[in-house]
Amino acid sequence: MHPYDPLHVNRRQFLGRASLGIGSAALASLLNPRLFAAGGLISAPHFAPKAKRIIWLTQAGAPSQLETFDYKPGLKGMFDKDMPASVRGDQRLTGFTSGQTRLPIAPSVYQFSQHGQSGMWISELLPHTAKLADEICVIRSMHTEAINHDPAMTLLQTGHQIGGRPSFGSWVSYGLGTMNENLPTFVALVSRPSGKTNAQPLHERMWGSGFLPAKYQGVRFTPTKDPVLYLTNPPGITAARRRAMLDDLQALNQSTLNEYHDPEIQNRIDQFEMAFRMQASVPELSDLSGEPATVFEDYGPESRKPGSYAANCILARRLAERGVRFIQLYHRGWDQHNDLPSGIKSQCYDVDQPTAALLTDLKERGLLEDTLIIWGGEFGRTVFSQGKLTADNYGRDHHPRCFSIWMAGAGVKRGHVFGETDDFSYNIVKDPVHIHDLNATALHLLGIDHTRLTHRFQGRDYRLTDVHGNIVSQIIA
Amino acid sequence: MGFTPKQIPGSSALGGISLIASLVVAMASPALWAESVSYNRDIRPILSDNCFSCHGFDPKKREAGLRLDTREGATASNKGVIAIVPGDVSKSALWERINSTDEDEVMPPPKAHKTISSEQREKLRKWIEQGAPYEKHWSFESPVAAALPPVKQTAWPRNPVDEFILAHLEEKKLRPAPEAGKETLIRRVTLDLTGLPPSLQEVDAFLADDSATAYEKVVDRLLASPHYGERMAVDWLDAARYADTNGYQVDRDREVWRWRDWVVSAFNRNLSFDQFTIEQLAGDLLPNPTLEQRIATGFNRNSMFNEEGAVDPEEFLAEYAADRAETTAAVWLAQTFNCCRCHDHKYDPFTARDFYSLKAFFNNVAERGAGNHGAPIRTNAPPQLKLPAPEAEAKLQELQKLLAAAESTKAADQIKTLKKQVQEAELSIPTTLVMEEKKDVRPTFILMRGAFNSPGEKVEPTTPAVLPAMAADLPRNRLGLAKWLVDPQNPLTARVAVNRYWQQVFGYGLVKTSEDFGAQGEMPSHPELLDWLAKDFVGHGWDVKRLLKMLVTSATYRQHSRIPPTLLEMDPENRLLARGPRNRLLGEFIRDQALAVSGLLVDKSGGPSVKPYHPPGLYEQVSTEGPYVTGKGEDLYRRSLYTYWKRSVPHPAMLTFGSPFRESCSLQRSRSNTPLQALNLMNDTTYVEASRFLAERMSKAATDAPGRLAFGFRTVLARPAKPAELTILEKAYHRAFTDFKNDPAATKALLGVGSKPADKQLDASELAALTTVASTILCMDETVTKP
Repeated sequence: MHPYDPLHVNRRQFLGRASLGIGSAALASLLNPRLFAAGGLISAPHFAPKAKRIIWLTQAGAPSQLETFDYKPGLKGMFDKDMPASVRGDQRLTGFTSGQTRLPIAPSVYQFSQHGQSGMWISELLPHTAKLADEICVIRSMHTEAINHDPAMTLLQTGHQIGGRPSFGSWVSYGLGTMNENLPTFVALVSRPSGKTNAQPLHERMWGSGFLPAKYQGVRFTPTKDPVLYLTNPPGITAARRRAMLDDLQALNQSTLNEYHDPEIQNRIDQFEMAFRMQASVPELSDLSGEPATVFEDYGPESRKPGSYAANCILARRLAERGVRFIQLYHRGWDQHNDLPSGIKSQCYDVDQPTAALLTDLKERGLLEDTLIIWGGEFGRTVFSQGKLTADNYGRDHHPRCFSIWMAGAGVKRGHVFGETDDFSYNIVKDPVHIHDLNATALHLLGIDHTRLTHRFQGRDYRLTDVHGNIVSQIIA
Repeated sequence: MGFTPKQIPGSSALGGISLIASLVVAMASPALWAESVSYNRDIRPILSDNCFSCHGFDPKKREAGLRLDTREGATASNKGVIAIVPGDVSKSALWERINSTDEDEVMPPPKAHKTISSEQREKLRKWIEQGAPYEKHWSFESPVAAALPPVKQTAWPRNPVDEFILAHLEEKKLRPAPEAGKETLIRRVTLDLTGLPPSLQEVDAFLADDSATAYEKVVDRLLASPHYGERMAVDWLDAARYADTNGYQVDRDREVWRWRDWVVSAFNRNLSFDQFTIEQLAGDLLPNPTLEQRIATGFNRNSMFNEEGAVDPEEFLAEYAADRAETTAAVWLAQTFNCCRCHDHKYDPFTARDFYSLKAFFNNVAERGAGNHGAPIRTNAPPQLKLPAPEAEAKLQELQKLLAAAESTKAADQIKTLKKQVQEAELSIPTTLVMEEKKDVRPTFILMRGAFNSPGEKVEPTTPAVLPAMAADLPRNRLGLAKWLVDPQNPLTARVAVNRYWQQVFGYGLVKTSEDFGAQGEMPSHPELLDWLAKDFVGHGWDVKRLLKMLVTSATYRQHSRIPPTLLEMDPENRLLARGPRNRLLGEFIRDQALAVSGLLVDKSGGPSVKPYHPPGLYEQVSTEGPYVTGKGEDLYRRSLYTYWKRSVPHPAMLTFGSPFRESCSLQRSRSNTPLQALNLMNDTTYVEASRFLAERMSKAATDAPGRLAFGFRTVLARPAKPAELTILEKAYHRAFTDFKNDPAATKALLGVGSKPADKQLDASELAALTTVASTILCMDETVTKP
């Protein structure tokens, strides 16, 4: 019997669950392992879930919406003209551009065209994504308050600009528990850009569990010999030796348990057993050598390089297949304050083909229907150029007032565009979606009422969406 | 240390207590605490949780003009409707509304997702019938030193702590557990007071000492050990958000380890808690401050510092000062002041004005809001203090002379080289971050909704209105604030401090929410004991060692920690203390213990932080700086509190065991139990190498396998292995020995882990086999747990 066996409910856990106010129907489901996944706070979803898992393709550094999904043909004739002050309004600037004497408009140097039956406008930088225009739902009206990377990314991940709160994946682990007793519930994968570009650092906090217990932390998989920290036995210790050592350990721990009756001892025995299972399951999972050549062709040339975004996309599919609930990729390098045309081209090269391949792959395997995919960064970029503007070069500063993301898969409308920005992609003119709204909607698709997934800390019931969040029902299929 | 434990006439005094049955009568009800209704204990938590966020202290959020946090508000007529009519439930609108089945009428409203249970309703009914008496929130009332409660088992208590604990147990018809064995006791108290295990010599000496004061002598020895300060510092570093980097995105190095050493030294010197407070908050403002007193102010420079390009300095100046106010309120007052940064508190009587008035004390630091990218790495942001470093200073002077000479001869190449050397020499003089007041006064404003660019009314440095006012003769600066915090009239500081020391020793505080003594925090499990301890603490000069001695010499602490099944159900968290404390060690001490028992520990105190073993590749993926460069030699084997702490990527072994990131104040760690912890203990080079060194010690301690195994087991756990345990170890050893004998390559590989070579004099197969057994012992639950 292992700790994730729903039948393994001792009286203490039972009382614990009961005191959380779980109704009798949920208690009944405790006794039926097929009705729910074990280990979570919410033993039954608040309502029928459409998604079982989330793959969050985080584009860290903030991709420009003007070169990707927010087509502004009107800017063509406005090259190097000053952005009207009325458009900017009271928006603060970062220190990068607040000292500039001019805010000259920089139209995208890249062309847009319409794709799919939906006729979605997508940039030439994303040809593979464009082929899937009828699968995705683009939101052009995302907005945030934060203007610097760290606070903005922290807000995107935890619903708050200052560190200390649990990340989205931790909330989901905490709420829903695991679907695979051999793997972590929440996995984070980080990749660096292939090109020479400014790769903003990340922070372990992004997948941290904040004030939730450490067991809900995201587990970072790395492209080293230890895909999970300390996974590999030391030299000279084979799996068979490890098994024998663990049997000894278990016998010793059992003796302590018999004397002390402390349930934490049983818990420790169980955690060592799970560690042993992970020693088998994680290398099997991370080993891409068994993937057919066609897979690498589909995911593109970078996919053969361990630790690349493309290789991580293959891993994401493998994690999804094995029941990992929350899979978060981070691709660094989207912070194009200067040399944006070349920088963003290189970034799009990194992510376009593998992202599209992942979507297609999941679809072919029947996984897209219960996997929610989210693609996007922490804020947008300014229509005006940061630094020198020339016919073929410019930079763009941080812009919190609008940015574009897309979602696909479980429960999301296909071939749909939601929200609208003004002619300068500076202000939202229709259907604004705040990060809290995005998170509320994603939780909704998982079957969770975002106002009811709470944890008491320092006397307050906290939640991912703080005191905000509206479900964007218009994007739900 | 003036405290003397109550003497008992030898161990036979314990004979009257049943050594087996802790639980005499099974409880019919799972309720831990008493039955009669009290506002503070029973009613306020219900009202606070369910009602106050809309009918409480914050006037901006108050619905229908009704407030329930005061008796005046609750009993006032509101258009003819009265929420609470004292003594008459049937006329009380509150009673009607909470029992309503109409969705539009019922309170709390369905959208709040709150439910008042039937048990809670019953309490409310009783309370209204009793006349609905309100009480000031318990923690804002001054502690009252209660008389020691009467107890029946008069032979059990060793000191006043036990009288309170026992009285409560007797009320619950429970008996204390028998005293733990001597080996358990010495391991428990040594880990608690030094974060290290006892040596075999120490265990043997204690076992050989039959005197009535044997245990007390051990405690005195531990309190005098330099390792005491290292253990005590760890919790304080979490509270003070100490780290070796600036945090935020850029997260470059800073230099403030000298403050960390000050903390270790302050605990070792037993600096009284009031002075500890004053020097850290305002050492620089004392008359003629010493170097040490100025270093102490690094406490409030441990706040993060944003070096990200193009941040608005004003935004982050506001952030740093707010962080200091929040940290001060959390550490000394256990109040969640962060709530009043944007609005008046929803549950506690603190206003946004209170928050910004407290912030004003910290808003006048001669500091920068944003970083300076041009400065070399490890250049501290001002204000900082150059530390005396005679050798480095002499070298610098010498180089400066050489440079002057070279400049006079215009030797260009030489000048270039020397300039570089001078710069390096300048950087080699250690500095530390300190607090320092600006000459002119930076005004402080209430920030509307907390936004740095929406200033409202100007405020002056003032302490929260609901608490006793600052004495008139105190200066309105950090020094005055610090003295106000440790004024015996302050109802919170002493309680909050003793509660944290209690938490450190017993696992949970008497107030479980040690970071929140407000309305949403938990009530103390033993309010009279908490008050008694607080009064006693202040009355004896805020003497921390004396307090700890009282806790660890109590009969309560000395109980056996086995859990009778019935007690597990009734009191899973051991709040009643009908048994001894048994908790997993903090990550730092799990590692320190392994280094100690293997003999690898380098017993050196203080200095710049060091970089022990670390998994490769972790920094490169997420940070812009180069890889983590593992230290050499001694650096690999120092105590864990000296490990380099990078905020964006703290040492993964520490995070795995539940350490905070040290970005903001943290007063409790989670004791999660995860597979990643198991992997760390099994496979981290730290533990593999420590296992090999423990194996070498085992090998040299005896000539036969049973002797070696028994030695290893006892070295780690202080107690001899039971016959059944020894059988397991022997079987394991013989299996491994045969196995390695037949696999020289694996033997060599295993013995090659770590930076120190294996002892060539020892038989390799034996050593490899012993290494695996030692590793198993280091992974045991009992090993990573305070027994």
